[in-house]
Amino acid sequence: MLIRPLLFLLLVASTNILGESLYQFQNTADEERFYSLIKEIRCPKCTSGSLASSNAPVSEDIKKKIIELINEDKTDDEIRLFLSDRFGIEVLYDPGLNRSTYILWIAPGLFLFIALLIFFFRRKA
Amino acid sequence: MTVFLRLLILSISLSFFYFFYLYINEDKYYPGASFQTSNMPLFELEDLYSNKVITNFDIEEAYLINVWASWCITCRVEHGFLMKLSSQGIPIMGLNYKDDRNDAINWINKFGDPYKQIIHDIKGELALDMGVTGAPETFLVKDSQIIAHYRGEVNDMIWGDVFTPIINKENIFNAN
Amino acid sequence: MFIEVAQFLTILATGLFFLCFVFSVIFNVNDLNIINLISRIYSHSFLLFLFSFLIYVWLAITDNFSVLYIAQHSNTNLPVFYKISSIWSAHEGSMYLWIIFLSLWGAIYNIFSKNDEPLKARTIGIISITTVGFLLFLLLTSNPFETILPLPPENGADINPVLQDPLLAIHPPTLYLGYVGFVIAFGQALAFLIEGDSNINWEKQVRFWSIISWSFLTLGITLGSWWAYYELGWGGYWFWDPVENVALMPWLAATALIHSLSASSKSSILRIWTILLSILVFSLSLFGAFIVRSGIIDSVHSFANDPERGLYLLAFIGLLVMMSLILFSYRFALLVSNKRIISLSKESFISINNILFGTLIFSTMLGVMYPLIYEYIYDQKISVGAPFYNAIFVPITLLACLFLFSSIESKWQSKSVIAFFNNPTLASFIFSLLITFISFKLYSVSKLWTLASLFIGSLIIFRYILVIYSYIFHKKFVNVYSVLAHIGLGLLIISIALNNDFSSERALNIKINETEIYKDHEITFDNLQLIDGPNYESVRADFIIESQNGNKFSLNPEKRKYFARGQITTETAIHASILKDIYITIGDQLDDGSWIVNVQFNYFIRWIWFSAALMIISGLFLARTIKRARQ
Repeated sequence: MLIRPLLFLLLVASTNILGESLYQFQNTADEERFYSLIKEIRCPKCTSGSLASSNAPVSEDIKKKIIELINEDKTDDEIRLFLSDRFGIEVLYDPGLNRSTYILWIAPGLFLFIALLIFFFRRKA
Repeated sequence: MTVFLRLLILSISLSFFYFFYLYINEDKYYPGASFQTSNMPLFELEDLYSNKVITNFDIEEAYLINVWASWCITCRVEHGFLMKLSSQGIPIMGLNYKDDRNDAINWINKFGDPYKQIIHDIKGELALDMGVTGAPETFLVKDSQIIAHYRGEVNDMIWGDVFTPIINKENIFNAN
Repeated sequence: MFIEVAQFLTILATGLFFLCFVFSVIFNVNDLNIINLISRIYSHSFLLFLFSFLIYVWLAITDNFSVLYIAQHSNTNLPVFYKISSIWSAHEGSMYLWIIFLSLWGAIYNIFSKNDEPLKARTIGIISITTVGFLLFLLLTSNPFETILPLPPENGADINPVLQDPLLAIHPPTLYLGYVGFVIAFGQALAFLIEGDSNINWEKQVRFWSIISWSFLTLGITLGSWWAYYELGWGGYWFWDPVENVALMPWLAATALIHSLSASSKSSILRIWTILLSILVFSLSLFGAFIVRSGIIDSVHSFANDPERGLYLLAFIGLLVMMSLILFSYRFALLVSNKRIISLSKESFISINNILFGTLIFSTMLGVMYPLIYEYIYDQKISVGAPFYNAIFVPITLLACLFLFSSIESKWQSKSVIAFFNNPTLASFIFSLLITFISFKLYSVSKLWTLASLFIGSLIIFRYILVIYSYIFHKKFVNVYSVLAHIGLGLLIISIALNNDFSSERALNIKINETEIYKDHEITFDNLQLIDGPNYESVRADFIIESQNGNKFSLNPEKRKYFARGQITTETAIHASILKDIYITIGDQLDDGSWIVNVQFNYFIRWIWFSAALMIISGLFLARTIKRARQ
């Protein structure tokens, strides 16, 4: 049959999919949440890239875990916390807003504000 | 005012280049190694041989956890070094990652057992909780805290560069 | 033997380029004889260097594996096209190409500018010394001329199959052409500062070169994006990967530059901006080269990590940039215009535009640098990705577009009243409102940012269409290509927003002869075939898709295993239509024989490519009209 020469593919598949359910969601909103989330979670094994762009075994595992958590009605923030506890905060492409990241989020607006200030100030002078 | 702006532009550019100079020369970023501490996750899994359920260890004050599998080729390469470590008395727990039980047992019988005990993590649940991304990976655990995590094959060089410093600093494995 | 000739020619060219620079410093650059001399020496240097590269290409085509680099990246089984493109598939060779293009732009500038054009000699001198710096980098740290003698291998290594793709093969050349084209603006800006004569209208000359380079840079980025879309299999086209960001920053600066140039070429207003931007664009291009080649940033794009290379590049680029900025500071008085920027004049809008683009560049740089700084201080890794960049880019880009819309009627150096209630502005406003409202009601577009993008993008498109209307029917003069490029911008904004809003995907679990339904389309798994390719083995899945209105077509995604390295790649199957792409990839097979199949519906993706093409073509035609005007 065709299965025989496809063993090289199964080598990748079999260690992953031992009787696990596939991407089953309770509703479309959850499905959309999932696809949106995986774009902002980093693949911990890849040099760079999100879970959405990776089919590494660990990415698949994390995706399944995310689905599990979504189906358990966990919020997006809870899911992010779950993953960052295990893989470090570097696994989140959104570094969040906290004491050490304030500068990241505020600097662009500050830059724009100061630049506009200088521009109008110099024109008045 | 323009003098201030010009000086600002110059000093920001200079610091920019200086930062990169510092960053390139910094060599504390050992690729694959992480020293962030976290709690050793709770788990309930079976021992590979006896099917007895085990939970977190309190046997030793400190130990290594080595993630391996019979399908992992690099693990075979790493295996010799692990045997050497274990013969020196270093306690190593094995985490058999997403592996068929028989395949794993055969592999150990064939190549040797460096582990004090082997956890059979068939679904990779504990591995996921520990932040494992593949095999082989090795963790250093002390007082139920993960204090070092290396992704990749451990050999003489890695052991010396990554694990020895923190082992000495934390003063564990006193036998060595 | 030939490789030694190539190396020798390169060393010789390095020496001659250096001579050009020295002459431009010690001799009187306003003496026509000196200019002729420098110009000729430059031409000869370039020809020698080009010849060395042609020899190199020849060695690659003829499978000369005594050259280490060719042995590492090429192979006798490759088609000729890929033997050539393997030259720029890794660090040493792509650096070689980069420097060829750098000196090529210098050579083109050399030929097409008259020798009595002001600043020519100094510009050539600056381009020369920049080339020398990179040539030394090439020869000393990244030598492509190394040989494996006395026993060259029979055959080379196989090239990464992912790189054996026509689009990917031409993406680096077009990108490099764009990046290094700005050495001309850079050289001219510095030459202007050195010369110290504020009456020289260097902007007029540079505008031509900058717009062409801008078009190439846009093309290079678009090709990379397009390739990522159809090859990588996840349906995205922009990822905010650090290496994409370091290509985006020069593009942003370049866009600001070409606008600033049109202002300061007419009067000497905004010269400070234009000079600074000329320095900035090239500096950011160099910074991009540094980032991808120093190994600092982990990315799929980065070439081999090597701190020594990183330090050399850092030192050279640092020196070049700092000297330029010191020169800028020192000659600042030269740039200050005695004319004020009049409120609501075109210049004022361009100034605001420069500020907004400057903010975008600053934010991108911040996003790229932040993880590095954070890691340095806190010893902890952190990632900054799409959520940050989207949060900054969307509002600021829309704001810039609003300013653009308001600026359409503004005039040079005079105040214009933005008559909100004149016909074209009002008409555009009403049409845009209509479009937005229809989308909201009929197509349930409900996200706020999507609606805003739709509205603002439409404002731009409609307003510029009305400009074209008055050009045709009222003979009101306008620069048609500029109008088209901006219509392209409006379309790009709308396409990106709608693509983001409407697109969706699902991972189906399907067996042969089964049918699944997704988004009113019936997807039947018709057949599975094994195919033997030239250097791979593949599994091909045949799907038949039938849409609600009876439209039927087949899609055949593949999974390939390449013999040489055992690499497995997925080949996407795409059905393109104006409104959407239907995009399928196959995943793994499950134990029960069923397959995981990823189906994506990507809306308006063709519009994105079309908008980019519109901007690129407009840029090239616009440059042509500038050239004609100069002659």
